Formats: sequence, structure tokens, C-alpha cells
Amino acid sequence: MSTPILDVRGLEVSVAAHPDIKIVRGVDLVVRPGEIHALMGPNGSGKSTLASAIAGSPAYRVDAGQVFFKGENMTAWRPDQRARAGMFLSFQYPTPIPGVTMVNLLRGALKARRGVEVPAREFLAELRATLQQLKMDESFARRYVNDGFSGGEKKRAEILQLGMMHPELAILDETDSGLDVDALRTVAEGVNALRRPELGILIITHYQRILDYIRPDVVHVLVQGRIVRSGGPDLAQQIERNGYDPILQELGLSREPAKAGA
Amino acid sequence: MTSLHPVHPNAPEAITPEVAAAEAREHGEPDWLAMRRADAARAHASLPAPTPALRPWRYTDLTRLDLATFEAAAARLHVTGAPADGYAGSLAAASDREIVRTHLGSLLPATEAKFLAANAALWRGGVLVHLPRHSAASEPIVVTLDASALAQALVYPRVLIVAEERSEATVVLRLRSGDAPLVVMGAIEVIGGPASRVRLLIDESWGAATSDFSWVRARLDRDADLQVAALAFGGALFKQTVEVELAGEGATSGIRAVALGDADQHFDFVTLQDHVAPSTTSIVEVKAALAGAARSVYYGITRVAAAATGADADQANYNLLLSGAAKADSDPVLEILTADIVRCGHHATVGPVDEDALFYLESRGLDRRSALQLLVAGFFHSIVGELPFAGLADELDARVTAKLATAAL
Repeated sequence: MSTPILDVRGLEVSVAAHPDIKIVRGVDLVVRPGEIHALMGPNGSGKSTLASAIAGSPAYRVDAGQVFFKGENMTAWRPDQRARAGMFLSFQYPTPIPGVTMVNLLRGALKARRGVEVPAREFLAELRATLQQLKMDESFARRYVNDGFSGGEKKRAEILQLGMMHPELAILDETDSGLDVDALRTVAEGVNALRRPELGILIITHYQRILDYIRPDVVHVLVQGRIVRSGGPDLAQQIERNGYDPILQELGLSREPAKAGA
Repeated sequence: MTSLHPVHPNAPEAITPEVAAAEAREHGEPDWLAMRRADAARAHASLPAPTPALRPWRYTDLTRLDLATFEAAAARLHVTGAPADGYAGSLAAASDREIVRTHLGSLLPATEAKFLAANAALWRGGVLVHLPRHSAASEPIVVTLDASALAQALVYPRVLIVAEERSEATVVLRLRSGDAPLVVMGAIEVIGGPASRVRLLIDESWGAATSDFSWVRARLDRDADLQVAALAFGGALFKQTVEVELAGEGATSGIRAVALGDADQHFDFVTLQDHVAPSTTSIVEVKAALAGAARSVYYGITRVAAAATGADADQANYNLLLSGAAKADSDPVLEILTADIVRCGHHATVGPVDEDALFYLESRGLDRRSALQLLVAGFFHSIVGELPFAGLADELDARVTAKLATAAL
């Protein structure tokens, strides 16, 4: 079997500013090249925290466990090192950066990822091709990053970056949230257009609907900071029909999110 | 003031009416100018040196600057892009013109401040930009003041811009010096005639041991528009006062500055938006990004006279601290004498870089320094908007990137 792209072992995560607030309480997760995993779970179960911690966000602290990326332990790596190695996080709430154009961001990001300055002509050709592939207008690239973007535009901007960066792992943190059906389809088609055999994808979502467009190989359910169920696509459909309550009841868990000292 | 150093004949302590008048005669200036120089020298003798007790000087302490050790000298002046109609060139050579006699010193009188008096007594060379009625300069007028050949010198730049009715021009002032200690006391006056449009870009790229104390003052007639922008990157100490009197109905002005500091650089901006006439509009936006132990000071006044009904004024000062040792003080003041205004706002912030923005960029593979280069360039980007110079955005990006490549973050 091929080396996993992502191998999370016994990961425990708390909030950096409040180490007593434990959010992720021991997660194991393996994503191999070409696989699509969906991580589902009720509000407050720790999905976004897990995504941020895997990407190296300084807002969180890893208390135990490791994150391996392509066989390397990157638990102590800075976020920029992880990104250069081929990890990409699509943010749930992409940060506006006034004054910095998408073009400037992408040029800097590409230079960092490849370790060399990308010639202007080559960069523009790649940018045009990716914009076309995602059915996005060229004027988009001249706008300030996420500044005054609609919800749909923000998510498409994330997918544009995903397309330009050629990562080996893409973590899509609630890429479907705040999108209407048309915007969701556009974004999902974008992700599908960018699929490559070496790319592993981890989709984090509340709802099954994005999974109608991007078929997962494995579905995990995260509750109170632990993966309590893993299964095939039918698990997502089951959640869509019945919600999380039957799973919670079966496990003797309440609906409450993870809390300090709990 | 006691000093262990010998006093040079042209040091400020030695500015006498005789020295000032001799300066005029030596360059064949007319009698009226020789007399004004002598008057300025007398004013210099009686005016007090600036001290922190005077509010605009509260945060800028001059006691370590021993002016007696500096000698007056002229920087090299170079002017390109002189308009087809009108004049852009040496002020001294144009001193026989009536407009010079009328306007020189009319906005920045020698009697107002000691440093202005020193400038009025001893300025050399100088620049006059004269735009006759309805004339438009097709390309930017670029004035380069190059003091790189000077050491331990006092430089008195003097610029007079007279824009007559419906004239239009862009003036770029590029300030350069070497590593040797220099003191600069500059005076720039802008006479904005009715419906004139003037863009003034001040590119401050002084060497590391230059201290600059300069004034820009403008008076705008009806419907005149003036946009002043300063890019402050160099110097040990840069204190710039920019004041606009919106004297005619419908006049508009913008005062913008960006400062990027490192090591122990000290920036001090003073602004005045003086709304005198009705329906006038002004904006001030001063932004500083500070690395190392750099410091920025801002003191700005928005004044709206009782007669200036319908005034629209906005004043903003934003400071980005890139290191723990950097420091910024912000002191905006409003003096509003009429209730009939459109807007009179002020904003001030001092704080570190947004951690969310930093993480966002880092998650795209940019190391911390590269991320800060991008964020600071973006922070400064708003200054480009009102200045339609080709290549200014790229120049600004390149300079931010270059300076932050080695800055103490």
C-alpha cells in the first residue's frame, strides 16, 4: 500500500490561549493519495480545530499525538513549512487582506511552494488556465484578497489557490457553508476539475449535500473531539436522513459540544 | 546653548542680517529678496528653538542634535519635465518675477518658526513651478534634491508652486542624501488658484544620518484640488508638517503619507486640514509600519471654521507595529465651529499585525518575513489610489520588500 499523504496519530489539541479547553481528544486518521475523506459531525465537535491544527495554526496547541505528512513527522513544523511541503487548507472563513491582490498573493505563494521565482509570463499563463478551468473571470485575480468578496467568491478564491498551488493534501474546511445550491455546484465542480491521482482530499462538512457532488471514499463522524464512526458514502446519507442523534444515542453521548474540563 | 564644537560662520547661531544679505548679493538676487533674507535673519535671532513644551514638538526631542556643528550648504538640484507653458526650474534664477515676490514666504512667513526663519534667510537654489492659467503639464515635473555629496551640512530646500486658474500638474520631489550627518530644514509653498489641480509626491529617501524638519503649506482657492503624498523610508529623523487651507468654496485636498521604519528611525507627522470656506472636502491618511525600535508620532488637527458649512473632513492615522520595540503615538484633534457639516471623522490605531492574516499567508507557504512584506505593501497600497503615476504601485512594493528583507522584525 502506498505511503499515506496524511497520517494523524492520537492527536489531542487544545486552544493555545486557554490550554484547559481541550477540543480534539485523540484522533487517528489516514488519507492516501487519490482518496477523498469526509469528516462530518455536529457543531462544536472539533472539526475545524482539527483542520487548523493539521495546518499548523498558532491558535491551537498539540498536547499529544503526531501528524505525519508523506511519512514525515511534521507535528512541530510551522504552517508555511507544511504548505511548502504540499499541504493546503481551504479556510472556512477566508481572511480579507486589503491592499494585497490575488495576483500578488499567488505569485508569492507559488514562489514559496516551488522554491524559485516563477517567470511572469509563465505565471500568467498558469493563472489564466486555472481561472478558465474554474470558470472564473480574469478580473477576479486583480481584486484584493477576500476583501469585499461575497461568500461564494471567497470559497472560489480558495479553490483558485488550491488549483495554483498543486498540493498533495487539500483540507476543505466547510467549503460548502454559506453557499447556495448554484454556488455549491460551481465550487464542487472546481474541486473535481482539480483532482489528480496524487491528491488526497479531506472534506469537512456539516451536511451531506457537498458529498452529492464530490463522492467521498470514506466518511468519518467526529463527536466531542473523537472519531466515533467511519464508513462508506452511505454513512453520510444515513446522517442526512436521520441527523446525528441516533449515533449520539447509541454511544450514550449528549449533543453538547466539547467543553473545558469536561 | 553651549557647545564644545566651534561655531561655523553659517551655522544657525551665526545667521546675521549681513550674512543673509550677502547670500542674496552673491547670487545677484533683487533688493527686495536681500531685504527679506535680512529680516528673516533678525526673526531667527529672536525666535525660540523648538522644545517639547510646544505641542507639535512633544514627541520629538532635539536636545541631542547639536546644530552648531552643521554648516549651511546647497544640495544639487535637478529638474526634469518642465511644462511647455510655464516654468519649472531654479527659484533664485526666477527671483525677478512678480509671482515670486508676491507668493514667496506668503504662506510660510519667516516670523513663524525658528527653522522657517533659517530657511528664509539662507535658502539657496530653490525651485519654482509656475503653471499659467489653463496650462496642463503633460508629464510629471520631477525635482531631485541630491545632498549625497554633502557632510555635516545644513540644507535649506525651498519650493514654490504657483498653480494659476484651471492649471494642472504633477510634481515629484525626490530627496536623496548619503550616509554622512545632515540636517534639512525645508519649506514648500503651494498656491492653488481657482479650479487648479496639483499632485505633489514627496519621495523621502534620505540617508541613515539625515534629520529633516520640513513644512508643506498650501492655500486653495475655489474648486482647487491638491493631493499631497509622502513616502517616508529614509532618514534618522523625519518631521513633516503638511497644512492645507481650504480657502475657496468647493476646494478639496488630500494629505497622505506612508512611513516604513527600522532600527531607531523616528517619524513625526503633523497635519492641518483648515476648512475656511463652505462645501470644502479634505482627507488625511497617515500610515506607519515600524520594525526594530522605530517610532512614529502623529499630531493632526481638523479645523472647521463657523463659515465652512457643508465641510466634509476625514482624518486617519494607522500604525502597524512589526516588532516589540517599535512605538507609535497618535494625537488627532478636531476643532469644529459649525454644526452644519457633512462629516468630520477621525480614526487612529496602533497595534501589531493581524495574526489571522499572517496565518492565512503562512498557510500559503510564505515565511513570516515574506508574509509581512506582502501585508505591509498592502497596508500602504491605499496611497497609490489618488496618485496616477505609472509604476508607483510596483515601486512601492519593491521598496517595502527591499527594506523589510533586512529589517529587525
